[in-house]
Amino acid sequence: MDTKETEFLRLIGENKGILYKICRIYQDDPEGRDDLLQEMILQLWLAFGTFRAESKFSTWMYRVALNTAIVFFKKQKRRPDNEQLPHNFERAEEPSAAGEKEEQLALFYKAVQQLGKVEKAVIYLYMENQPYDEIAANLGITPLNVRVRINRIKSKLKEIIKTMNYEY
Amino acid sequence: MNIDDLKDAWNNDEPKGMRLPVSTAMLGKTTSAVERLRKNMKAEFIATLVSYVIILVFMFGRPQISFLFNIACFLFFTILTLNCFYFSRFYVFYKSISRYDFNMKDSIRKITYELELNMEVYKTYNFSVAPIAVLITITLTCSQHTADFIQHILAAHAFISLGNMLLVFLIILISFMITYVCFSWHVRLQFGKYLAELKQVMNDLSEEA
Repeated sequence: MDTKETEFLRLIGENKGILYKICRIYQDDPEGRDDLLQEMILQLWLAFGTFRAESKFSTWMYRVALNTAIVFFKKQKRRPDNEQLPHNFERAEEPSAAGEKEEQLALFYKAVQQLGKVEKAVIYLYMENQPYDEIAANLGITPLNVRVRINRIKSKLKEIIKTMNYEY
Repeated sequence: MNIDDLKDAWNNDEPKGMRLPVSTAMLGKTTSAVERLRKNMKAEFIATLVSYVIILVFMFGRPQISFLFNIACFLFFTILTLNCFYFSRFYVFYKSISRYDFNMKDSIRKITYELELNMEVYKTYNFSVAPIAVLITITLTCSQHTADFIQHILAAHAFISLGNMLLVFLIILISFMITYVCFSWHVRLQFGKYLAELKQVMNDLSEEA
């Protein structure tokens, strides 16, 4: 294994949470998440040569991984099943043992499935605590536009969660 | 439930046992639309090479009528030139369709543009190559009787009548239209939904909030 590959594997391993959450946001079934995960790793590897160490690896990774998720299309529509975890994903705790916040997070992931692709990217970067300027730079829109979109998406999510019979 | 209050749970949602399928992924076995397009292009190229072998076997592997053999040669070189042109164009596209390190708007714009452009190039390619391929097939497989008939028509010392001219024109027009409709339908079926979805993303990104 050459140095470039070793370095890539190290950086991907350190930032795998980014891939994990993008998969959960963009794909509602385990196979879809597996496929997307593989696609993102491939695209990151292919684009690794363009990464300049002047910026943080995670910043570059957000961009490539999100663009890959946006362009990714499933081969066929599968039955949505949000309760299942993908084959490459395991969690330390069982859902039943999860606390209230974890339950709410699961509901949030479910609600996010009903958003559009761009809306998913916006809310994902927002949840990752990215500043508005950074989100705007990643998406190619203005910071003001980001601010307005986030408010809209929050309201939309609130409505979706209400229709899921959950008291907001 | 307040979404901002979920940020702590979000940050703690760590993939502790997550296995990264790095070795499989880096081999390029993926399922994206762009990858599918690449695979189709590759398959098409291989199929074209195979068809050349079949044509050459037909041309040299069995006795031919000299008149039709000569026509087949001209058509073969025409189709070869067309294929070289289009496949060099597709190869450039094949190598350039993976730039995901721009911002989202620029990346999607580039991919959408490339996909749409190459769908059109692909249609044009098939539109120009298919009739020649049909003519080569006819010249290489027709019977002596048909060959005599074609030679008689082409070598006739009288001008073609207006009625026959219109008939030929109509046949060519209808054949081309059918070819175009079939290939357009095929391309739309293969990639139309991806293109529509990419355009939707572009519209969403362009929308001023």
